[in-house]
Amino acid sequence: MSATNPPEILARVTGKTAVQTEARAKSFRLWITAGPGLFWVVLFLLVPSVVLLGIGFFASNDYGQPTMPLTLGSFQQVAGYSLLGWDDGNIIILIRSLAQAATATIVSALLSYPIVFFIMTRPVSVRPLLLLLIILPSWTNQVVRTYAWLELMGPNAPLTAVAHWLGIVPPDLGIAPGSFAITTGLAYNYLPYMIVPLYASAERLDWTLVEAGRDLYAKGFRLFWHTVFPQTVPGLLSGVIFVAIPAFGDYVVPQLLGGDRSLMIGSLIANQFTETPDWPYGAALTIIMLVFTGAGLIAFRILTRRLGGAGEATI
Amino acid sequence: MSNVVPPRVRAGLAAVSWPVYILLYTPLAMVAYYSFAPAPLQTGHSVHGYAVLFSDGTVFAALQRSLILAFGSATVSTALGTLLGYGLCRFRAANARGLAANLPSLIIYTPIIMPSLVFGISELIFFNFVHSATGLLAAGLGTMVIAHITFQVPYVALTVFARLAGLDPNLFEASHDLYANGVKSFLFLTIPIVRPAIIGGFLLGITLSIDDFTISFFTSGPGSVTLPIYIYGAIAKKGISPEINALGTLMIATVIVLALAHFFITRQRDRRASLLPS
Repeated sequence: MSATNPPEILARVTGKTAVQTEARAKSFRLWITAGPGLFWVVLFLLVPSVVLLGIGFFASNDYGQPTMPLTLGSFQQVAGYSLLGWDDGNIIILIRSLAQAATATIVSALLSYPIVFFIMTRPVSVRPLLLLLIILPSWTNQVVRTYAWLELMGPNAPLTAVAHWLGIVPPDLGIAPGSFAITTGLAYNYLPYMIVPLYASAERLDWTLVEAGRDLYAKGFRLFWHTVFPQTVPGLLSGVIFVAIPAFGDYVVPQLLGGDRSLMIGSLIANQFTETPDWPYGAALTIIMLVFTGAGLIAFRILTRRLGGAGEATI
Repeated sequence: MSNVVPPRVRAGLAAVSWPVYILLYTPLAMVAYYSFAPAPLQTGHSVHGYAVLFSDGTVFAALQRSLILAFGSATVSTALGTLLGYGLCRFRAANARGLAANLPSLIIYTPIIMPSLVFGISELIFFNFVHSATGLLAAGLGTMVIAHITFQVPYVALTVFARLAGLDPNLFEASHDLYANGVKSFLFLTIPIVRPAIIGGFLLGITLSIDDFTISFFTSGPGSVTLPIYIYGAIAKKGISPEINALGTLMIATVIVLALAHFFITRQRDRRASLLPS
């Protein structure tokens, strides 16, 4: 019996079975093709982030650089303990960041539903354009589209004038810098990240369920709540993750639209690596931020699984 | 499907949506409006801001760096990401389970899910350590390109993977039967089939690069000021000026024009393709 195809020939030469050799060849090809890309990400992202997290457990020298011994001092500092006693500053910043992320997420979800179904009720030919018009602003640079809001909400800007007239904002001050400006900036930046997944689930919507609901005399909001909304939950949950996680740790928006009194965790972390270096403290803050991010991610992942995830092609 | 929605609800949806569309573009329009502010001690509109901008050599240097950064990083990440998506789709053992099988997915999703601030600071520290230990990788355009490649690779890989996953695996068997070896079938079968995804991945990489500020900010050096970093620095130093608005306007206009052009060109091509007999 003579071997006819390469794996069999190879098998005879190497004395291994064809299946074994083929599996070998396959995994060799996997490493040749996928290897470089994976190696790149591991080397330039996973290794650096492990280094960053590790720094959180070192002490800090006079220049804010990590030094021996290993300590949990930075975490005590994060919790607010220092030589001067306990301070609630960091806890407030953390709560403020969570609240900002939650508000921005809720605002963008509330805006997304009407927009998504507005697009869905337009002719098929114009839907892609209407969706593109939503996404387009997010393709401009972060700094440009964020500072653009200063033109509306800074001191002497049009929206500020309206706010002065209504008496919401004290004279001589702008809406920005302030908490409201941050919420607006975050919602503006991340609205497309809510609309796109929501639109994807709205496109797959089974409208016969809506008709069935109507046959059962459901109307208005009840009809939406029981027939449409459950079908959009997977899209909504993806959207919540895409908005809440980047909004929580955002750096540009609080930096440009917020002031010292509306400091968020992103700016606090960045300060430890730029203006007043204290790498271990900054790393400890980062770990706390990632813990909250991870907890949110896992919670929503479980929720999505329980409610039936969107069946897209996943790697 | 949409005929289920009664006219009254449709009117309500439109009444909420159109103002949001307007609101999305108002801040950008304000930037353009203020870019035509008059020169000091004058009134009316003028192109003073643009004149100041174009006489500033640092802006052109920053633009050049931004373009090198975007095209350089997108080229490398397209090559790495295409191979990565292809390899994972074709050569990953179908029955593999456990950590080893999920490791590639884990690696791919990390850059996507990691907050860009953490991403940027990790790179800052890593490059700093490598530089002080070996003298290599001094903060500058090089480190920025590396960081940009890192966050683009997963997006390119996912784009290519999604396209390949929708294909009939028998195609590859067929090319094998026609005596194409691995490299040949990659070059003459895979590449042509996934070309739209590769181009899409490349454009996505450029978009991500142009959009980014945070990661660029933490990986840049004193001599590698790109346009967003220049704008951020100028605003922090002396507030918003007409020339910054002029620069912002040009950046916004470029993105909008290119995106709309790409949209209408591909749509026309799709329409033409749908008219051809298949």
